[in-house]
Amino acid sequence: MIMCLGARAELKWEQTAIELHPAANDKQAIGHFKYQNTGKTPVHFKSVHASCGCTTAQSQKEEVPPGDKGEITATFNIGDRTGTQVKTVTVETDEAVNQKTVLTLKAEIPQQLEVTPNFVFWKQGEKADTKTINVKVGKDFTVKHIKVTSSTPDFQAKVEEAGSGQFKIDVKPQDTNKVVASMLTIQPEDSQKVFYATARITNAPSVPVAPAGPTAPARPTAQTH
Amino acid sequence: MKFLLARQAAVVTALALLPAAGEAIYFRDKISWRSAIAPSEMVTVEQARGWGDTAIWVDARPDEEFANDHVPGAISLNEDRWNELLPQFLAVWAPGKKIVVYCSSLSCNASREVAHRLRKEAQISDVFVLEGGWEAWLKKNR
Repeated sequence: MIMCLGARAELKWEQTAIELHPAANDKQAIGHFKYQNTGKTPVHFKSVHASCGCTTAQSQKEEVPPGDKGEITATFNIGDRTGTQVKTVTVETDEAVNQKTVLTLKAEIPQQLEVTPNFVFWKQGEKADTKTINVKVGKDFTVKHIKVTSSTPDFQAKVEEAGSGQFKIDVKPQDTNKVVASMLTIQPEDSQKVFYATARITNAPSVPVAPAGPTAPARPTAQTH
Repeated sequence: MKFLLARQAAVVTALALLPAAGEAIYFRDKISWRSAIAPSEMVTVEQARGWGDTAIWVDARPDEEFANDHVPGAISLNEDRWNELLPQFLAVWAPGKKIVVYCSSLSCNASREVAHRLRKEAQISDVFVLEGGWEAWLKKNR
């Protein structure tokens, strides 16, 4: 039985799980899953399938002769994703055993600032109280000051340092009489990276929502700090 | 003899469980590609359709798939362009609205991730994930 198994095609993977640590501004995280055919017959790839549209996977070849080496390249497009991301690639071959292999790509995406909540709202006619947005500096980052800019003068934003790498942004509408929205741009000092939050006066719940053609709040023009 | 067999079975079982235990430790506090979601946060096509105008449909699929076809009136909100698309979604959101997030199929995870970020980052409640995603919607509507 052992001899019989030895004669089979067998793809040995150097590793089936890779952990990546992309830099803050990286657009992609790429994993190279290396293999070797340690069997005595060729191995053919039947399919290579990623778990999500954000990941692509490519094999260098369709057939792997005995003794040959190669790799599956998995490219994860980071987009605006944050935190720990785990994506998988399922590889199917014509081997007699272990036809399916799941390759795991884990990426730790660094986040300079964590903004919570990134949306504050008031109902039309509601008391124009101050609402607070909390900003937490990510580990491995140092941010001493942040600058907050409101896209319209309808909202005032005031930054308060809360210590231990945390800030509070107090947001207050001028009034809540009309439906308005403003984008708050949050920029760490000495950094090109910007973060966003939205402040809005909303309609009453019974007002129908526009089915299409959403409009974003105007881009920043005025600075309120 | 019986004892020996039982012992061997126990050893084999323990060895088989080792990788699972390792994975459980390695990925302990992480969201997996099939993150668990409470049944109360899932919604069927029939239930969501029953909400009528009180629901906002959110398409968590990539731009190309949304451009190809989507639930009528749905808003695109995916993690590829989250920072750009979120304000567009928030511009049409209103208190009391129910959010129905969908991705391609039962096995996709994008809708779960988007729903999670809406709850956590924007702190919006009444966010639901559509069971079966776009495939399920197509089956019921085409």
